[in-house]
Amino acid sequence: MRLAKPVRLAFAAATAATLVLTSCGSDSGSDSDAGTSGAASGKPKAGGSLTYALDVEPTCFDLQVNQQGITGDIERGVVDSLVAVDAKGEFHPWLATSWEVAADLKTYTFKLREGVTFTDGTPFDAAVVKANFDRIVDKKTKSQYAATLLGPYTGADVIDAHTVKVNFAKPFAPFLQATSTPNLGFYSTRSLSRRPDELCAGGSAIVGTGPFVFSSYTKGQNVVLTKNPKYNWAPQQAAHTGAAYLDKVTFRFLTEDTVRVGAVTSGQADVATSIPPSDIKTVEADKGLKIRKVEDPGGAYNVFLNTAHGPLADQRVRRAIQLGADVDQAVKTVYFGQYARAWSPLTPATPSYDKTLTNAIAFDPTAAGKLLDEAGWTGRDGQGYRTKDGKRLTLDWPWNPPHTREQREVVAQAIQADLKKIGVEVTRPALDIGAYVSLALNGKYDLYDFSWTRFEPDLLRGFFNSASLPATGGQNAANLRDPQVDTWTEAGAATLDRAKRDDVYGKVQHKVVVDDAVVLPIYVPTKLVAVATDVSGLTVDPNGKPLLFDAWRS
Amino acid sequence: MTATPASSTPWPATTGRRPRRRGDDGPAAPHPDGSAGPVWARVLRGVAAAVGRRVAAAAAVMLGAATTAFIALHLLPGDPVAIILGPSTMASPEVRAQIRLDLGLDRPLIMQYLHYLGQLLQGDLGESYQLQQPVSRLIGDQLRPTVELALAAIVVAVVLAVASAVATAGRRPGLRALANLWELVAVSTPSFWLGILLLTAFSFRIELFPVAGADGFSALVLPALTLGLPVAGILGQVLREGLETALEQPFVTTARARGLSQTAVRLRHALRHATVPLVTLSGWLTGTLLGGAVLVEKVFARPGIGALTLQAVSSRDMPVVMGVVLLSALVFVVISTAVDLLYLAIDPRLRAEDKGRGPQHDQEPQHDQEPQREQNHEEPAPDMKKAGVKGAGT
Repeated sequence: MRLAKPVRLAFAAATAATLVLTSCGSDSGSDSDAGTSGAASGKPKAGGSLTYALDVEPTCFDLQVNQQGITGDIERGVVDSLVAVDAKGEFHPWLATSWEVAADLKTYTFKLREGVTFTDGTPFDAAVVKANFDRIVDKKTKSQYAATLLGPYTGADVIDAHTVKVNFAKPFAPFLQATSTPNLGFYSTRSLSRRPDELCAGGSAIVGTGPFVFSSYTKGQNVVLTKNPKYNWAPQQAAHTGAAYLDKVTFRFLTEDTVRVGAVTSGQADVATSIPPSDIKTVEADKGLKIRKVEDPGGAYNVFLNTAHGPLADQRVRRAIQLGADVDQAVKTVYFGQYARAWSPLTPATPSYDKTLTNAIAFDPTAAGKLLDEAGWTGRDGQGYRTKDGKRLTLDWPWNPPHTREQREVVAQAIQADLKKIGVEVTRPALDIGAYVSLALNGKYDLYDFSWTRFEPDLLRGFFNSASLPATGGQNAANLRDPQVDTWTEAGAATLDRAKRDDVYGKVQHKVVVDDAVVLPIYVPTKLVAVATDVSGLTVDPNGKPLLFDAWRS
Repeated sequence: MTATPASSTPWPATTGRRPRRRGDDGPAAPHPDGSAGPVWARVLRGVAAAVGRRVAAAAAVMLGAATTAFIALHLLPGDPVAIILGPSTMASPEVRAQIRLDLGLDRPLIMQYLHYLGQLLQGDLGESYQLQQPVSRLIGDQLRPTVELALAAIVVAVVLAVASAVATAGRRPGLRALANLWELVAVSTPSFWLGILLLTAFSFRIELFPVAGADGFSALVLPALTLGLPVAGILGQVLREGLETALEQPFVTTARARGLSQTAVRLRHALRHATVPLVTLSGWLTGTLLGGAVLVEKVFARPGIGALTLQAVSSRDMPVVMGVVLLSALVFVVISTAVDLLYLAIDPRLRAEDKGRGPQHDQEPQHDQEPQREQNHEEPAPDMKKAGVKGAGT
């Protein structure tokens, strides 16, 4: 019979010692720098274990198949990548000691680190790199995400045991960033030969080269990682070399917010992710905890305005929608001031983010009204909604309740109320998952919302390139067909030149927000993580994945 | 010599769902002296026929459940592949095509149905769309924690209900009202909320029990209470009603006159009468426990069939949903069989019918009560009808 340990008392003493030095936390927005440890108090010591409460349980642990971000969060400590990326978007050696990129960006040649072994004892070499990439693109693998990271991959050549050349059909600049994600991390040859269901079930079937070993998975309960004592190939940005400090990390799946917060405030978990903004005050008041706030890289929580359907085909109406909703107020109220309002379809933590967009579409109901008048929506019906030729100005914004997170439905209600004031009716049909996913294919919606995490501005190509229309399985929910946007997003994907990328991606952001007015950015998805004060060195990489390697208990 | 309740009472209440009497359709009940042939052969034949009927009925129920679930799932709108991939996905059209092919979703519906039935006959429940695991393994792995939870909840419910009913039935009105109140509160509290309250009190504030999980006894206490309390409320109400009816019967006075204490009469005689309606509620109980497990397992982050069901239904993971439907059908079949057997254990008159009346003929009172008992069987008391309806309705 195992009772919960009264941990709180145990670390009350430790708190007094570390509090002064751990003043980081709720006010820091730039905590994501890899290597900057949150609480560098005293000398790190090895040993101890960590319980990490998560809000989502993966459906499958095969990083090469599954598209859920949570799978990568858990396995970041189990698999290593060819390169590591820092907060500025610069790449650093990891399993690759150096690399050469062909001028046409169609081939990448990696020199691999020697002496690296998987935790099953097999060596990490060029053949393993090739085997992993080949499996990802294999049709039979049915990769939902990793395959898109490999893009126009045509194959890999094993030059020698520690040199591998990766080939693409087209120039493919996002590849280096892609290799830094856990989804393109490496499984051992033995792992790759397992049956798909064994890999999906996690546990010892998953073998990587990382600082931790995937020891076990109990469905509905937890994942246990244990230290890989032989580990000695951490990337340069890590705070130390050799093996990880922690002996054991337990990820617990506590999907209920109240329960997760209760677990961490009562000391039954040392770390808890996705603290609801409404609970931040409670957690902050707890002397044994600190809040880490990390803004996600990638796509903000955006509402896309469908240019191929109904009234939003008119740019003036789209612009009116952007100006007619007081998004600032809605975000501030619903998220207790914890999430920042977004101005671009990308978040500020994403490379090539366009700062100049701030306030470009500030709340201005008068201007919105004028635009609607100009667009011919001048009539009014009995309920005060605008009409044109006797037809009411109605916008459909369908949603699927089970997949709606972070109280987005409340934000939508606020927008709905604001738009009503300028005479626009927004309807919110709640759809079953089946009907909801069919929407993308039949295009029968006016507004469509989602967010997307990735440390790479090439996301814009997926969001706005006309080759990525939803009817063909793409993410261009606005159904935008803008030749300039197409040219720029393709140019960005074909260069590694920072200045050039900043230029074209800046132009894309400005064009889609201001001129095309096809997107209404709402808020910057932000990780609010509660961490016990006796946990130090826990960081988050620029891809938004937790790094357990430097974490230690005092 | 003490008279048993069966032989001394007029049985104020009888079961709404009396088990079938084997004598009705099998060979005639063996004669006490066995002169009509080898008794064991007839009994065996009777048992075999009864078992055969049960198995055939179970198979029919399962087939019906499978077919209904299959049709219902396919009537829902949406492309299964798109649902598997979810609302925001980057999966390529090739990946979609491969998934469709691998899951056999490119075939006509009727072929998919027949294929599913074919697999089922071989004991293969298919593979989860989302989890990519064999459904039988998933259910097998998740069954134990749910069974543990359900059994613990039943124990909690029965102990609380019996204690509450025996202590308060027919006692002072204040006491009764108090018991009534807690039972009503228990019944009306949403288990989701109750679970969070219990967690906040006994895990977050007083760190007595672990927040969640399924390892060990201490992790079972709060979930079992959450699932068991509302059930205890209902059972307590029904039990007290039954006890009070029984306590009004003349046999109580007789028993007291023989020198039995108030409590002894309640526990040894009245309770037995009051138990029959409880058993009738077992169908409702099973449904409550299966449905309640979904919420309780979610709140307490316990693994189990409930958690699996929730995940499967929300992502429309057809093979898993079908597996859970079949499992529930099976559970209901098993429970109703068990209940029929339980009636025999509780109500000796049914046993007497089953075995023929021979062995008990020497008991005088039994003889005397016979006509009245038959009448009771044909006209269940009104309160029993109510209980029976409740049981079937949920």
